[in-house]
Amino acid sequence: MSIELNVNGEAVTAEVAPDTPLLWVLRDHLALTGTKYGCGEGLCGACTVHVDGSPARACQLPVSTLGGKRVSTIEALEARHPELIEVWVEKNVAQCGYCQSGQLMSAAALLDAKARPTDADIDAALAGNICRCGTYVRIRSAIHEAAARRDGGAS
Amino acid sequence: MNNTPTPTHTPAPPLVNLSRRHFLGASGALVLGACLPAAANPRAAGAPFQPNLFLALAPDGGVRITAHRSEMGQGVRTALAQIIADELDADWAQVRVTQAPGDAKYGDQNTDGSRSITVNYDRLRAAGASARLMLRQAAAARWGVAVEEVRAADHQVTHVASGRTAGYGELAAAAAELPVPDEAPLKAVGEHRYIGKAMTHVDAADIVRGKGEFGADVSLPNMVTAVVVRCPWLGGGVKRIVNPPPEDTPGLVAIETLDPAPSAGPQFAPLGGVAVVAEDTHQALRTARSLRVEWTESPNSEFGSEALRAALRERLNEPGNRVPGAERGDVDAAFQGDGEVLSAIYETPFLAHAPMEPPVAVADVSVAEKRCAVRAPLQDPQAARGLVARHLGYPLANVAVTPTLLGGAFGRKSKPDFALEAVELSRRLGRPVRVQWSRQDDIRHDYFHAASAQLHRAVIDEGGLPQAWLQRTAFPSITTVFAAAAAAPAPWELEMGFSNLPYAVPNRRMESSGLRAGVRIGWLRSVCNIFHAFSANVFADEMAAAAGRDPIEHRLAMLPKEGKLAVPGMQPPAGHELDVGRMRAVIERVRGLSEWQRPRPAGVGLGFAVHHSFRSYVATVLEATVADGRPRVTNAYMVLDCGTYVNEDTCRAQMEGAVVFGLSLALHGEIEMRDGGVAQSNFNDYPMLRMSEAPPTQVALMPAQGRLPAGVGEPGVPPVAPALVNALFAATGKRHRSLPVRV
Repeated sequence: MSIELNVNGEAVTAEVAPDTPLLWVLRDHLALTGTKYGCGEGLCGACTVHVDGSPARACQLPVSTLGGKRVSTIEALEARHPELIEVWVEKNVAQCGYCQSGQLMSAAALLDAKARPTDADIDAALAGNICRCGTYVRIRSAIHEAAARRDGGAS
Repeated sequence: MNNTPTPTHTPAPPLVNLSRRHFLGASGALVLGACLPAAANPRAAGAPFQPNLFLALAPDGGVRITAHRSEMGQGVRTALAQIIADELDADWAQVRVTQAPGDAKYGDQNTDGSRSITVNYDRLRAAGASARLMLRQAAAARWGVAVEEVRAADHQVTHVASGRTAGYGELAAAAAELPVPDEAPLKAVGEHRYIGKAMTHVDAADIVRGKGEFGADVSLPNMVTAVVVRCPWLGGGVKRIVNPPPEDTPGLVAIETLDPAPSAGPQFAPLGGVAVVAEDTHQALRTARSLRVEWTESPNSEFGSEALRAALRERLNEPGNRVPGAERGDVDAAFQGDGEVLSAIYETPFLAHAPMEPPVAVADVSVAEKRCAVRAPLQDPQAARGLVARHLGYPLANVAVTPTLLGGAFGRKSKPDFALEAVELSRRLGRPVRVQWSRQDDIRHDYFHAASAQLHRAVIDEGGLPQAWLQRTAFPSITTVFAAAAAAPAPWELEMGFSNLPYAVPNRRMESSGLRAGVRIGWLRSVCNIFHAFSANVFADEMAAAAGRDPIEHRLAMLPKEGKLAVPGMQPPAGHELDVGRMRAVIERVRGLSEWQRPRPAGVGLGFAVHHSFRSYVATVLEATVADGRPRVTNAYMVLDCGTYVNEDTCRAQMEGAVVFGLSLALHGEIEMRDGGVAQSNFNDYPMLRMSEAPPTQVALMPAQGRLPAGVGEPGVPPVAPALVNALFAATGKRHRSLPVRV
């Protein structure tokens, strides 16, 4: 069936079965491949996107439930959080990079909710994002640095 | 971090047309595969200067560097480019990196064994240096001066006396007419501007914008997606599809039965099964999940971990195959003396690789033209190309296999079974096919890291030093994947932390046993070093504890004061002997870095381990406690000596990552086989370390001192698990001898 969505600020239409998870609509039908498949069960966070500003696992969201909601993906993150993109590159956070879209989307949602998160806030907000390469320590440090830049203060 | 601009990743375009060019043979040690002889024909305007396979300089000054090794997070695309760009003395902002397809002309492309830099360092320096010399020659000729009077630096050539300059790009056409020199001067160590520096990865900018191209991101017109339902046990074939999906199932394109892999010695053959091919991934996954298949039995359908564990323990009770070169003195006589005997058995389970990107491949076969193109996250595109050509019966020249970025690999993607699935399906369907493994497929049908058991028995003196040491190791060998008759561990597996231990022991014997397991055995980041470093480092800690001695003091006392051991390893270049002095140095350094002597609070312990693998030395100290019934690592300290390194920051990142990888396996990693199949299926029952468990990590690199470049990707992993167990002993007094740790 034909499904209308708002993705990254644009109205889009996809011809998919209504039970299709948002993840596969993004990847297979809208050519937005920055959102990754990692587990299919909401366990790893590689497919994290924002729905109406809140982090969500795209592999767990049937597209039919998203009418009238705003979906935002990694491809649109830089416009809203340039400091995250900048710091992530400067600190060479990514290793293989496959999980980093999800890590960044979780980090962005955290900064939207709390300007200066603590380590405990970061642990909680990114608890659902696995990195097999083990970039956690850099992610933590990058979020603090990005928060400082966004906040206009020194880190 | 270096603030120079970051070159962006350009997805592999075809190589520059070399049709006008002749191929010269290798000249000396320098491999210059595609060289330009003095030209017989006028050059096409705007053609780049491409003095060798690895770099091309365009008239606009752009430098394209071809990476022939696969990127899986270890930063190799950046490091290879750093080496060439440094000797070329290129402006980093002008450098772009493209990915080479699998092709023997590049030499070995098997991105594996932590050896990309070790085996390519000299030849890539030479590749950059010869191009720089040719640019100087071209400028000198233009100005009518001696080449000694011109210098090349920062993308331009300068005539020192007159101050005349020419940009590299301006000189490209003239340089391209010159013969490639047999030898070109290399920079002195102090002149390096990129080698040894921290530089941002060339793919970082794309990755953070969701633009990095991984395997599943490849999309071709008319492509369909396949998900394969595989037999739980190795070697089982399809007996019957119980509930064939109706033909009008939405999006369903085809159901294809694939032959089973051999139940023994399957090598890289696909496992077989039932392929569900659909218009999109969701439809393929959904239909595959609903499919019920009856499978034929195989010799492996009863296989289970519990029986394997018992069999491994039994092997430790009997003499195994001796490692002749490792024997010293008379162990049996020493055990009949009245010295204190310490004995312990260590056990480690099967592990799955679980890279964040499950196996995936896109193949496009044209039966009419006998052509095939594969794009996939492959560690060895060259070997994959050969296997694809053989499978199809097509000429090698008609098969192109190009790696995408690898979303983690850790050894899993050395095996192209998933690419061969895509190739076979594309051949049958006559259209491009993407084979997507689910996470469940990935965990259940891996090439598993071998379960193992070790016995350590020693006579120790009052200082805890071993006077006699018997070691036995038992595990299913990787060679069982390559030969149906194989069982015994291969020498190269034993050289991973077993037969090459450097400790001074007057009486020593080492024995190994192998047995076949009913699964495919593979290599996982640091391979047999994982269990050998674990047992040896924990046993050493037990010896120190038995004598009431500081573990680091004790370990330094166990090591000879100096000397080198020949370590026959995986393609070991000369000069990579195990240097006891370097091992002592990383131990001393980690003692300082961790403030080993500083008292920690009650209930917090420090654990130490050291290991030599992949030609490098890593010493680790972990600070750990048990909180709320769970082990918690509160600080990690890593010291790496990998000789000369290319990207300082990558070395640090690899050590940070090794802590997480090592803790994942030490705290959570266990694959359990029952009735031929794997009990685990996803990250809920095969968990990975998460953010809250990742300790602050300090890394120190030993100075390069002009030493040969050694491995970085793997050597950090082996000492982590034993350091954890030793820290928990220091914290709680409880000794763990099997992994994963259960407190």
